Amino acid sequence: MVAETETAPRRPAGLTAWLAQERVFRLVPFVMVEGMFLLLLALPFVLTIYISLLRWRANRPFEQAYVQGFVNYARVIGEPEFWWSLGRTFYFAGAAVTLELVLGFSLAMLVHQAFRGRRLYITIFLIPMMVVPVVVGYNFSMIYVDSGPLNQILAPILTPFGVTARIRWLSHPIAAQWAIILADVWQWTSLTFLIFLSGFAALPPELINAARVMGASRWQIFRRIQLPLLKPAIIIAVVIRTMEALKLFDQAVLLTFGGPGDSTQTIAFFLWRQVWQFNKYGFGAAASVLLLLLFSSLIYGGIYLLVRERALLQQPEGRG
Amino acid sequence: MARIVLENLVKTFGAGVTAVAGVSLDIQDGEFMIFVGPSGCGKTTTLNMICGLEQPTSGQVIIGDRVVNDLEPGERHLGMVFQNLALFPHMTVFENIAFGLRVRKVPTADLNERVSRIAETFQITHLLAKKPAQCSGGEAQRVALARTTISSPDVLLLDEPLSSLDAKLRVEMRTELKRLHEQLRSTFVYVTHDQAEAMTMADRIAVMQGGRIQQLGTPLEIYRRPANLFVAGFFGMPTMNLISGRICDSDSPRFQSENLDLKLPAKAVPRTGTDRDVCIGVRSEHVLLGAQGAAGRVQLTEPLGDETLVFFDYGGPSQLVAKYRGDRTFNVGEAIVFDFDPKGVLVFDAEDETRLA
Repeated sequence: MVAETETAPRRPAGLTAWLAQERVFRLVPFVMVEGMFLLLLALPFVLTIYISLLRWRANRPFEQAYVQGFVNYARVIGEPEFWWSLGRTFYFAGAAVTLELVLGFSLAMLVHQAFRGRRLYITIFLIPMMVVPVVVGYNFSMIYVDSGPLNQILAPILTPFGVTARIRWLSHPIAAQWAIILADVWQWTSLTFLIFLSGFAALPPELINAARVMGASRWQIFRRIQLPLLKPAIIIAVVIRTMEALKLFDQAVLLTFGGPGDSTQTIAFFLWRQVWQFNKYGFGAAASVLLLLLFSSLIYGGIYLLVRERALLQQPEGRG
Repeated sequence: MARIVLENLVKTFGAGVTAVAGVSLDIQDGEFMIFVGPSGCGKTTTLNMICGLEQPTSGQVIIGDRVVNDLEPGERHLGMVFQNLALFPHMTVFENIAFGLRVRKVPTADLNERVSRIAETFQITHLLAKKPAQCSGGEAQRVALARTTISSPDVLLLDEPLSSLDAKLRVEMRTELKRLHEQLRSTFVYVTHDQAEAMTMADRIAVMQGGRIQQLGTPLEIYRRPANLFVAGFFGMPTMNLISGRICDSDSPRFQSENLDLKLPAKAVPRTGTDRDVCIGVRSEHVLLGAQGAAGRVQLTEPLGDETLVFFDYGGPSQLVAKYRGDRTFNVGEAIVFDFDPKGVLVFDAEDETRLA
């Protein structure tokens, strides 16, 4: 009897048994999360920083590469083409995101009202977002052909003003820039529309009713109630779209391949060219580290604003 | 100052959903009128039609001496307090209160003075720079009232303004609202599903169900002489005891149901009430626990301090409740004898549920 009570229950041996122990098992999820983090984020990041410090061209063996300090960074900063591309990217992103915000907001405001066929319009307005960018690129390359549909549509509008509607959409430096911006606007207005539509739907109707009872006009309600309350949605739209627009690549490749000249070379395209055409790995890595710092500071600024706005809109305590 | 007349108001939503099915009502100038009823009875829809947030399907809303059916809510010169207060979360308390004046382009100096005056009245001066999120429930309530009353509207509409407050604060705010009504002397139309709120504050109550007014009267009229079974059951805590049965009048009137045979004094029974199926209603305070009457057995007691609610079984389909004033303790399972106070027995028709004269 005594011997039996003193014997500890025998554990099945092996890895499963070891994992099944309470003190081990509760660590398993951490191992997975941390493992993923190390593998997918930390490792490439550290590697990028390491490569950015190397003197290494991919057409030479990796063994010949050596750490040369911040020379690549200095080269990036001293490269005028880098700054031009960066400036151009901000110009594209600024113009595209502004148009997308204005259009998406207006569409959402219109569709927010109740009318027949509302759901159909919502579905239609969301389609561009779901089209693969490459397809959008090819479609627009056909639309922009000199004798193509866009110019034909513009002809009756422009001719009375004495302007010939022969805009060289893809071969004139400025027209090409706007060709890319417009293609981006066409595709991504859907997203801002979606964000604003949900923003409008989330506005509490009592606030608008309260303002109506107090005698506010439609414009006053929009200006003083709806617009301020939509600020978080606006910030979300700006952050998400800016983040994406700064990486503008597909349209620049598909429509113009950066040309004519450098006029549509975005920063993403510039990096791609440096690395994949000129094999300047160290240079590319240094440039991407610099861009990461720049873009993330912009985005965290946006997120900070968002969090602050959200906090201001909290409901009073103890109320539903 | 405004009297409100509702003439046969009807509101239907879409196909076949009737929220308000013909409401006619004359609300006197300066009256505290309360619409009370269960959810979905049409009380809020009626309020929204007075306010202008809903268009009546047919019928007229008259405020003062104008038909206001086609006026925008902002042109009707009324104020409204919403269920969740609807304070603008992005504005300070000051801006919230000033909003109604700002949209009417009141000059800044005048506006500042009026806001600070009303803030003093409601004792919220210290909150003016804060956001609604930083106010407590009671403070937010006072801000909402200040915002609504600053433009001194003729009519104040309140849509369940106390429902989101905790129990203690709700009772305090009742007193405050009643005092506010005394001060302003404007017409108050108040919507609630809480019969206690209606009883304590109203000059008159309109009890609504199924889109219609079931009874209109002063709180005591409605409590003592409910027009039908619905009103009788809706008012009073605990709910009125209702027993179906028959009143027989052989030599003296008796109430008989399956398990109950009680002698009733002649004056408790209306002449039309004999020899037909009825439902009698007796409030708990009119159920007497004493030495004579029918037998029952205690199932549950709820001591409230000064009085005790005794729930007991008498062999019928549902239990009865008596409100006992006194020091006696009742034990579960104890046998008791109960009787009904003749002046508290109400007789309702079993068919159409109206009270018999």
